[in-house]
Amino acid sequence: MIEESDKVSDQARVAAQVRRMLAQVLDVPEASVGPELSSSSSAAWTSLNHLMLISQLETEFGVVFSNQEIRQLTSYTAIIDTLGRRLDSAR
Amino acid sequence: MSLEQRVESADLQRIAAEVLPGQPWSAYQAAARQLDRLDRESVPESLRARVALLGSFTLDPFVPVMRVEAARAGLWLETYVAPYGQYLTEMLDAGSGLYRFRPHVTFLAIDSDVLWNQRWAETPPLKSEPVVGGLLTPLFAGLDVFDRAGSGIVVMNDFVLPRRSTEGVNAFRSKGTFAHTVAHANKHLRLRLALRDHTFLFPLADVVAQVGRTHAFNWRTHYRGHVTWSDTLMAAVAERYVGFALAALGKATKCIVLDLDNTLWGGVLGEDGPAGIALGPQWPGSEFVDFQRELLDLQRQGILLAICSKNNEDEVLAALRTHPSMLIREAQLAAYRINWEDKATNIRSLARELNIGLDHMLLLDDSPHERAWVRDQIPELRVPDLPADPSMYATWVGSIPSLVLLQQTAEDSQRTRQYQESRSREAYRGTVVSIEDFLRGLGLKVDIAPVDDDSMGRVVQLLAKTNQFNLTTRRHDEPTLRRQVASGTWRVYTMRVADRFGDFGLTGVAILERQGDDWHLESFLMSCRVIGKSVETALLARLAEDARASGASALSAEFIDSGRNQVAATFLANHGFTAGGAGRWVRSLDLAGPEWPEWISATALSPMGVSTDDRGERQGE
Repeated sequence: MIEESDKVSDQARVAAQVRRMLAQVLDVPEASVGPELSSSSSAAWTSLNHLMLISQLETEFGVVFSNQEIRQLTSYTAIIDTLGRRLDSAR
Repeated sequence: MSLEQRVESADLQRIAAEVLPGQPWSAYQAAARQLDRLDRESVPESLRARVALLGSFTLDPFVPVMRVEAARAGLWLETYVAPYGQYLTEMLDAGSGLYRFRPHVTFLAIDSDVLWNQRWAETPPLKSEPVVGGLLTPLFAGLDVFDRAGSGIVVMNDFVLPRRSTEGVNAFRSKGTFAHTVAHANKHLRLRLALRDHTFLFPLADVVAQVGRTHAFNWRTHYRGHVTWSDTLMAAVAERYVGFALAALGKATKCIVLDLDNTLWGGVLGEDGPAGIALGPQWPGSEFVDFQRELLDLQRQGILLAICSKNNEDEVLAALRTHPSMLIREAQLAAYRINWEDKATNIRSLARELNIGLDHMLLLDDSPHERAWVRDQIPELRVPDLPADPSMYATWVGSIPSLVLLQQTAEDSQRTRQYQESRSREAYRGTVVSIEDFLRGLGLKVDIAPVDDDSMGRVVQLLAKTNQFNLTTRRHDEPTLRRQVASGTWRVYTMRVADRFGDFGLTGVAILERQGDDWHLESFLMSCRVIGKSVETALLARLAEDARASGASALSAEFIDSGRNQVAATFLANHGFTAGGAGRWVRSLDLAGPEWPEWISATALSPMGVSTDDRGERQGE
């Protein structure tokens, strides 16, 4: 029970951190960062911003993404899902 | 803020203050976007610094960091970033974007990777002399062009050994190691830069030491997208670059105004007496001696020292004259105000006496209360916060950005003459080379061929990704390409490029469409990796030759401005096309040329698979 609620608050913390990062990198309000946000919906999601974003995610969450993951982390949802999986398995 | 309002230094500083030391890159990015939202036109000319960034690696992520650090010093930055990998061609070509930009400061950020790659152009690796000569000869030729065509100052960094070497414990005996190459390059760089008035050596090795080498480089972004500097190094470099920008705009500090009690010595003279203040070889006191030494080093460069202190003048003068450990004495002072009046009034009076603007003065005072008062009274005065612990004064004072003096004193010029004498002994004499000589030295090879099954994938990839050198930025998928080629509507050309330093792979594509008697350039593009090597001329020369052979009377083309392809904007005009109206450019084939550049040889190059060739992928082509 306690573990489960820990996990939920962990997820909320990760989501908040990712939202802030995306908002800063893409220059959009934090409130607008959600499931609709992706590299195809945002002109600011350039290849260079992608590179910097991935690197910062890796630093802040202590993970390293594979080449394949990097290619797929092009939406808010993909980032949250992949991070969630990676952080879960690191538990 | 309304648009009519003038943007002041304080507005810029307020935005920069949102980014604290140690924050990640995204914080800089967000603050830089906030700066973008200010109305550029309402920033006074005196606050605008034009800064050109030329790198051997990707500097685009450095721009927001640099803009924020400049804003912290009250400057608005306009930046020019040379296209990726083109620092040499930009300098050598007097008509390049660099020179059109008219920068106040040009920063050359050259990574030791350049030396490393030249060293490994052969196996076993090359020794120091050819490697260093191979880099410095064209580099100094570029600086010669800069002297004639450029503006402002050039700041180039020294080289840093980027990681622990595997060359072994005997490496110190050998001249064949990479460590030796780096040291050799730095020695020649220093000697030769010292001979030039408007060129400065940036102490990157010192900055790397300051942040720590393991934190300085980000190898993941380095390999993924040629972004070599970590967030931490970017911030530390930007902070120091700003000093050059301030100096180039004439905003450097000319006079440091010093408080006395707990600033130049420990304790309060009026209470502790001359024997009781902390100043001497032992702690407490030794930290103030070092601080005074640092201040004298600044004074020797030509920065004036003045005192502004609430004290009794006769007591202070006695201490200055007789205290055995006092280093800053009357002879070192340009002026002083030692009385019980308020400091703002005294500083204004010092400014009048020295005939120096208040914006060129800096106050060092340990008292937060005095600092707040003076800041409030004289907003244009620089009043940095001193560290709370005097042990940190000497370490901290060197980090004040405005203490950069570009002019040399007589003693420094003397040093220059010594360098000049030693120059004749140096192996690397500045030979003036033209851009053609530079290109000739590259040993360029191209292989132009029609698209085939093997190259189709790479062609589609280049069409999809190439943004910079792309005349029309038309994206086509593979089925379309195959259909148009099969029907004979299009001819699709591919170009592979190599030089003596390596193979760039398939990096050029042209699509020609038959339109009556004309051949039309439906697409014409090159990967950013081969921009500036004149290979586009070779590709066009081949197209013209083939078009002539098949009886065409002219080549036609169009330039579609995508907002990102400015590098291709002058391509048509430079190759004999004339504007025909409605965006159409025409080049008659009755005219000879375009001529195949004689420094490029046409050779068959081994096809490189698409998978081995995605170096520039994530940063765009």
